[in-house]
Amino acid sequence: MPKRWIPPIITLVLLALAGCAGPAEVYRDANMDFGALHTVAIMPLANLTRETSAAERVRDVFTTKLLATGALYVIPPGEVARGISRVGISNPVAPSTEELTKVAGVIKADAVITGTVKEYGEVRSGSSAANSISLSFQLLETQTGKVVWSASTTMGGIGITDRLFGGGGEPMNDITERAVNDAIKKLFQ
Amino acid sequence: MPSRNSFSSLVALLLVLLVAGCAPLRRAAWTGDEAGNAEGGVAILPLQNLSGGTAPVTELRQELARRLALRGMKILPEAQLEQFMARHRLRYVGGIDAATAQALRRETGARGVLITEVELYRTPFPPRVALTSRLVTTEETPRIVHMESVALSGNDAPGLLGVGLVRRPQEVTDRAIQLLAEALTGEKPQPIPRVSLGSDSVYLARPLEPGRSYRVAVLPFFDKGNHGYAGEILALHFIGELVRQGRFQVIEPGTVREDLLRYRIIMEDGVSLADAELLFGMLSTDLILTGEVNDFEDLQGAQAAPKVDFSALLLERSSRRAVWSMGDHRTGMDRVRFFDIGRIVTASALAAGMVHQAVEESLGR
Repeated sequence: MPKRWIPPIITLVLLALAGCAGPAEVYRDANMDFGALHTVAIMPLANLTRETSAAERVRDVFTTKLLATGALYVIPPGEVARGISRVGISNPVAPSTEELTKVAGVIKADAVITGTVKEYGEVRSGSSAANSISLSFQLLETQTGKVVWSASTTMGGIGITDRLFGGGGEPMNDITERAVNDAIKKLFQ
Repeated sequence: MPSRNSFSSLVALLLVLLVAGCAPLRRAAWTGDEAGNAEGGVAILPLQNLSGGTAPVTELRQELARRLALRGMKILPEAQLEQFMARHRLRYVGGIDAATAQALRRETGARGVLITEVELYRTPFPPRVALTSRLVTTEETPRIVHMESVALSGNDAPGLLGVGLVRRPQEVTDRAIQLLAEALTGEKPQPIPRVSLGSDSVYLARPLEPGRSYRVAVLPFFDKGNHGYAGEILALHFIGELVRQGRFQVIEPGTVREDLLRYRIIMEDGVSLADAELLFGMLSTDLILTGEVNDFEDLQGAQAAPKVDFSALLLERSSRRAVWSMGDHRTGMDRVRFFDIGRIVTASALAAGMVHQAVEESLGR
């Protein structure tokens, strides 16, 4: 093979590999001082799944895990509910900037987390089945209502062992915990 | 050849032994109505059924009363208690408020109340029973002095080729009541199953002050699953564990319930700080414990494992913040590595183990 062909081949290989890279799953506002955040409120999550309690379950796990890191104080859900009711937010899963500022003032939060449960439960492919979860979260700064962090995570699903040997995958609670831990890791990275 | 004196001593000894041997027979024939003067005794309230199904609560109560009386506990006669309950229109038996406790003491002389909940009662194989009892004083402010739980299943110890399986529900029930009575009279406290919790599932803002006694109100947990009574059951397990720790004065749930009703406090999605403020003042507590239950399942079948998933939050009066929080989920098979060793068969036992581990690790120090 002539030597002059080597640089174009390497370039082609690199381009091909770059095409394999997945989409970025995290957004962080470079100008935001995350160290200034001490208290956050987790709003009710939007539920796009058929499992009616999925959003509440994920929110509960997320609240406990985030609090357990010790890095942020998470306002108890009851207090968040009082804030939502007092401000009169009609759709708490997607509050407007004004509503966000008001509710943060009532419950004294530095930031608010909103999110969506996109997938929760069993997925099937042919004769194989396994549990899967897909979540996305946004951290909104309360003074401006700006999204300063956003991340999504997906865990579970049908793997090669599920296809070959069956078994149904991991329990839903374990997958939820792993997904939430992954999201928290992305918040603090 | 023995002397006349030693012979008469031997006869006297035999007679004493014979009389002593008759004692259990006489005591075994005890019935509730024969308790006689119950001044200073204990009133056993009718059992509250939290099992979500039917349970023979009358028979269970009678058997528990009989077993406790056999162990020397003075019991208020059932008829006297029924008259009192009718006179005061007492229908809620899951707790006792201060006014009712005082009236009970004044009118019947009972110095304590035994409040018992049936957490689980299943007769199909394997039969399962779970009971929780607490002894509450009838002082001006009712005080929980003792609390015990017992959870048994017919397949707790199946043994080789299933020789240890218990198929008759009555056997499991009798054993459970016997263990509960022994535990309540201090003979044999009930062991708590060992459960490992995840280290990233507990938050503690700062350790509680060592040596200080805290007054705690435990609110019913929010049941987000489909059990119906899981919130009350989890709250009971937390009450029992906090009482066992010794450093917490846990407010009798009947008193908490009465105040929640009196001030019409409705908590739709957890306790807000405004509600907590009101409760701190009303109940004069240092801490409020609340939480939610996502799963509390006892699946039927010999191989089915129970599933428990809950979170708890402890609010502090002085800082108006959550000082402790935990959340975890476990199944009865989590600790099994070899031949079902370490298997937990009922959700009640699993919840008791989880609560014990969480409280002992962070609040019990």
